[in-house]
Amino acid sequence: MDGQRILTRDSKVMGMEDAALLARDALRDRPELCLGGLFKQGRPVALVRALLAAGADGLHLYSSPGAGYDIDLMIAAGAVEQVFIPGVTLENRLCPNFRSAVEAGRVTAHALDALTVVGGLMASAHGVPFQPIDALRGSDVLKHNPLLREIGCPFTGRRIHAVGPIRPRVTFLHAQEADRWGNLRHLSTMVYADQLMARASDMVIASVDRIVPDEVVLDDPSRVTVPAHYVDAMVEVPYGAHPTASFPNYAMDEEHIEAYADLGDAARAGDRAGLEAYIARHVTEPKSQDDYIVAIGGARYLARLEAEAQDR
Amino acid sequence: MSAAASPLEQMVVVLARDLADGELGAAGAAALVPMAAIALAREMHAPNLTVGGEMFFNPQPGRLYPSMLDDRALGRCEAAETFIELFGHSHHGLDFFFHSGLQHDAYGNINLHHVGGTLHAPKMRGPGAANLSYYHTSTRFYICPTVHSARNFVEKVDFITIPGHLSGPEAKRTAGLTKEGPRFVVTPRAVMDFDAITLRMRLRSVHAGNTPEEVQRHTGFDLAIRDDVPQTRPPTEEELRVLRERIDTSGALRA
Repeated sequence: MDGQRILTRDSKVMGMEDAALLARDALRDRPELCLGGLFKQGRPVALVRALLAAGADGLHLYSSPGAGYDIDLMIAAGAVEQVFIPGVTLENRLCPNFRSAVEAGRVTAHALDALTVVGGLMASAHGVPFQPIDALRGSDVLKHNPLLREIGCPFTGRRIHAVGPIRPRVTFLHAQEADRWGNLRHLSTMVYADQLMARASDMVIASVDRIVPDEVVLDDPSRVTVPAHYVDAMVEVPYGAHPTASFPNYAMDEEHIEAYADLGDAARAGDRAGLEAYIARHVTEPKSQDDYIVAIGGARYLARLEAEAQDR
Repeated sequence: MSAAASPLEQMVVVLARDLADGELGAAGAAALVPMAAIALAREMHAPNLTVGGEMFFNPQPGRLYPSMLDDRALGRCEAAETFIELFGHSHHGLDFFFHSGLQHDAYGNINLHHVGGTLHAPKMRGPGAANLSYYHTSTRFYICPTVHSARNFVEKVDFITIPGHLSGPEAKRTAGLTKEGPRFVVTPRAVMDFDAITLRMRLRSVHAGNTPEEVQRHTGFDLAIRDDVPQTRPPTEEELRVLRERIDTSGALRA
């Protein structure tokens, strides 16, 4: 009628609130959420806060084999039912809300090891029914690990272990940059298990500190860590990993995490007021990342973390 | 100069002396002492020792970091890998690795999961552990907690996260543990090893400033102390100089 319609490629860029609702609704089908990064680095914390603000509960959490702050925050917010992560710690101290919730029986924390999680993600990513594991003997983790089975090796008959596919319904990743189509570029030295998770999951939502022009990707394609093919939606969020690090852009905010952990310890001892105020101030009240940045101390505060990231 | 060595510096020196040139190993989760030991070994006698198996090769940190899982602690490194390659390293194994936990027992078993109660109704829930496989596939490992008390050295751990020698040679064989397992236990007070027949832990030497009786008092099981327990060989002037001037430039091991 008005001439031929010109088809254009769809950008994967989405607003934070829409991304959170997309994740929340998907997790209502199946509550398996997986988080990229490792301990205090490259964690998609802005996406986690947005999901908590949108309302999530009964989550089953997966991650690369080590996690801390964000898992503890989700537990503090009452969103978690089961944890399938081998190591849960703030590294220099224990995770207070994780501890409390597991000790009180409110959250089930399974005993797992790194190979179970990585092997399960590999099976899912590769489309095979299980991944063999032949590097564990004698640990009590084997007696309790719900994801492992003992099998006979089809070639030698030897007893080994197998883990079935781990297929997260939603995976959140954080990368330093991407183009508008969702080609992610991790500029950090470590890429953790992010590439594997992207290939293992039903839905991948990524946050990036900044979106770069298409040419940046096209000029250096081997630098793309996660091709857009695996990414469903992407949100541009400056400081989207805070209080964890997004190297080389900014370091982890140890002071913030320590203060949070102190509030968690107070809650363990019976005084939840500080922890509730923390969650209100950082999770439920900010309407945008700009509000969040103001809540944590503003641009000058973040400039310090940027300087720390360069201190090698 | 040697007399002024801190307990952590003494630990580093004991561990460094046991690492050989050309070996491949990694530091584990609590990395301060192990990374210093690896760096000291490379400076003193093992220039071809390769650090690998934890998603990076041969990091060159500008100072000592408590955790190696920090891009700044890697400083520059020769190569970066991911968890996909970690899977392979875990099966191939390393020459050496380091572990420590909430509890350690008389057979070198390590607990990081819970103290008291059960796994799903724990009195105290610990952090768990990310990668367990190196206890099983690596040639040997070292146990090196930075605290040595009757609370973290107990007769029997409440949960075996990382098996040492289980309950001895028979149990180890039955479980299919074919490697050496824990070789030494190095703490701020002493060095322990394992009886060749029973695989039970025993006192090997005490660091300067400690007596065998004191070490026993801070241990929750019998250390089979002989009459002639020697003093741990203190750091040489050269070891201490290299450690302080080239590795621990910020004095983290003396803090």
